Amino acid sequence: MNAATDTAAATSSRFGTFALVFGICFAILYVVCEMGAFPMFTYHPGIDRIDPGFAPPRRDEGPAMYWYGWIANSALGASILGLLAAMLPEKIRGKIPLALAWIVPVVLLPVLIYSLKFYWRW
Amino acid sequence: MDFVLDYISVNTFWTILSTTHALLAVALLGALTHQAAAVLAPPRAGIAGGFVTHFRSVSGPRYAAAVCVLWVLVFIVGAWIYARYRLHVRILIEQEQLWKTLGVFEMKEHIATIGLGLLPVYWHLWKNARNAAYDSARKWLTVVLAAICWYAFLAGHIVNNVRGFGL
Repeated sequence: MNAATDTAAATSSRFGTFALVFGICFAILYVVCEMGAFPMFTYHPGIDRIDPGFAPPRRDEGPAMYWYGWIANSALGASILGLLAAMLPEKIRGKIPLALAWIVPVVLLPVLIYSLKFYWRW
Repeated sequence: MDFVLDYISVNTFWTILSTTHALLAVALLGALTHQAAAVLAPPRAGIAGGFVTHFRSVSGPRYAAAVCVLWVLVFIVGAWIYARYRLHVRILIEQEQLWKTLGVFEMKEHIATIGLGLLPVYWHLWKNARNAAYDSARKWLTVVLAAICWYAFLAGHIVNNVRGFGL
């Protein structure tokens, strides 16, 4: 892998910068939201109700789902950061390594496995 | 969608959605596997080959848009049936104390979501397939997405085997 050429070409367009930063930030924010329990909203499928933010499951109302809320938070945050990055001058945009697009998700994998430690019971 | 339930049972409705999710996933898996093989081991020019050579001889850029559309469709249908899974499948698996099965599925949910967020940059890299500076990132991002897709497919298959159809 040639990091120098990767970075030089990373931001040939503002959309390229947005897409790269969005992908990186979306992955990081999603893991942060999942580990910190930061959903934008909570869905209660048993009674088909949506509560803002984090809402614990209530007795006799079934489980609470946070996944949709994590996605919403991550998408919003990543969109804002992606747009901000796209507005940066070409000189700075060109320094964002393209390789982060695949390195970040690979690095986050063990973090996700650790976050699910509750399930790894032998 | 309630009018549909005048003609088919609730179980049939969710089974159709679940099967649609699986079939779309098969199409996505095939497209991404061909594309990943093409970038990892491109065939040498001028050599007539057999099955493996033809398998990896696809034009990667032609697959990129289809991969993005299929990933989004699989994700939307998956997100739709996920609420049903949470109520009618997961609770039963919890009662059986099959924790590792649940963990494997949670992992699928997480990495498939991360893959969704990577689609814009994946599409951008393939849209500029002639830009040699993108080659390395395009190759490894495609391989990562293919690995995510294979994991998600197998994890979904495992959970389906545990619970079976008729959500």
